[in-house]
Amino acid sequence: MRREELLRMFPEKMRHRWQGMADLCDNLQELRFRAGQPVIVVDGGREKYVDLEGRIVDRQDAGARITGQEIEEMIQHLCQYSLYAFADEIRQGFLTIQGGHRVGMAGQVILEDTGRIRNIKYIRYLNIRIANQIKGAADPVLPFLYEEGRVCNTLLISPPGGGKTTMLRDIIRQISDGTVYGQGVNVGVVDERSEIAGSYMGIPQNDVGSRTDVLDGCPKAEGMMMLIRSMAPQVIAVDELGSSRDMEALRMACGCGCKLMATIHGSSLSEIQNKKYMRYVIEEGLFDRYVVLKRANGRCVMEGVYDREGKPCIR
Amino acid sequence: MYKIVGIFCILAGCMGLGRLKVRQEKERIRHLRELIRIIRRMQDEISYGKHTLPEICLILADNVDDCYSPCFREIHRQMLEGDGTGLKEVWGEQMGVCLQNLPLQEDEREIIRQLPACLGLQEETRQALGFEQAVRLLSGKCQKAEETYENKSKMIGSVSILAGLLLSILLL
Repeated sequence: MRREELLRMFPEKMRHRWQGMADLCDNLQELRFRAGQPVIVVDGGREKYVDLEGRIVDRQDAGARITGQEIEEMIQHLCQYSLYAFADEIRQGFLTIQGGHRVGMAGQVILEDTGRIRNIKYIRYLNIRIANQIKGAADPVLPFLYEEGRVCNTLLISPPGGGKTTMLRDIIRQISDGTVYGQGVNVGVVDERSEIAGSYMGIPQNDVGSRTDVLDGCPKAEGMMMLIRSMAPQVIAVDELGSSRDMEALRMACGCGCKLMATIHGSSLSEIQNKKYMRYVIEEGLFDRYVVLKRANGRCVMEGVYDREGKPCIR
Repeated sequence: MYKIVGIFCILAGCMGLGRLKVRQEKERIRHLRELIRIIRRMQDEISYGKHTLPEICLILADNVDDCYSPCFREIHRQMLEGDGTGLKEVWGEQMGVCLQNLPLQEDEREIIRQLPACLGLQEETRQALGFEQAVRLLSGKCQKAEETYENKSKMIGSVSILAGLLLSILLL
């Protein structure tokens, strides 16, 4: 992540404190802000703290604390002073900022009469997850994603922070541009949370390939059908499947002759099989490949690739 | 002969000054209308397009009078690439420079400079309505200026001729 990009997340009066940190962290993964608590920086898989001078320290008691007011100012700044533009995302507890970085937030939830979440106020916890585009991240996986030069329906499985989105982004880029295993194909991306392409004003900030169309900010189920109707993709890519509606849309997309690239939270194939809305999809053999990922030493590594029957292609 | 030329010059100068004043008033009305249009466009972009304010500034830069265009472009640039200064400050500074040489009254400039003070609402329709007060104030001023423009321009024209005549008499 570029130093300027990191500093841009902070309002002017907080930048001096973060300048040193921005210079020191080369493998920044996460920033955690909790009102009244020291700020935690996760760099290369290790938790560190930032002192008042902007130096990285290992001792928690030496870490500078952040106030609720500073967090409020950060949110205003991250939203470009346009909270209304991010209201739907804030309601869901996160927002995606330029570059595709995800800002998770927690505070006091306000409910409507119907029980639906209307808003979050007193946001006092922020978790900024840094999106890193790692070109070549998908290289070890790619040989398993093609069969006779055609892309296989693939599901990437990993726990949160395991590198699913990074892997998916690179897979999209490579299958869109073409690889030694197959020619480039039209890829339609439904980027519900703007994390894959990190689009800003419709233009992807990450390289997602030359034959990729991005439907930004659109719910997955609607987005997949929209893309099929309008953009004729050969492959559809979505991040973080999480409901039976998503599965229905996947089935329909598959029925239209599209290949699928999707990710889901989980730590193993068996865990995914136990999810109610996934069981039938797996039993039907919708996916040809299951790629299980894990994070080791701060890096995303492939734990295993499984075929339609759940048999390992590699261990 | 010289006296006649002198009187003619004084009269022409005074009438010119009068015309300038009338033109300034006409320009003021034009700018007030343009500013109202800008705020209305901002409201539409907020409530319908859900664009962020820096994005709106970029959209406006391509769709407004040339004298406002660089200002909006600069606000957009500073918000994205600047040193993290808040929108209120950037807007105030850039608008201050932009409006400085326009034929507007100080309170009209202040209304525009203070526009971001009503930001911070999480619902787009309400946020758009937040700008309504500025629109109302500017509309009131514009309407008043339009109503008085005809009479004012006639009065300024007459006063400038009379002032020219008076000056000529005094100098004779």
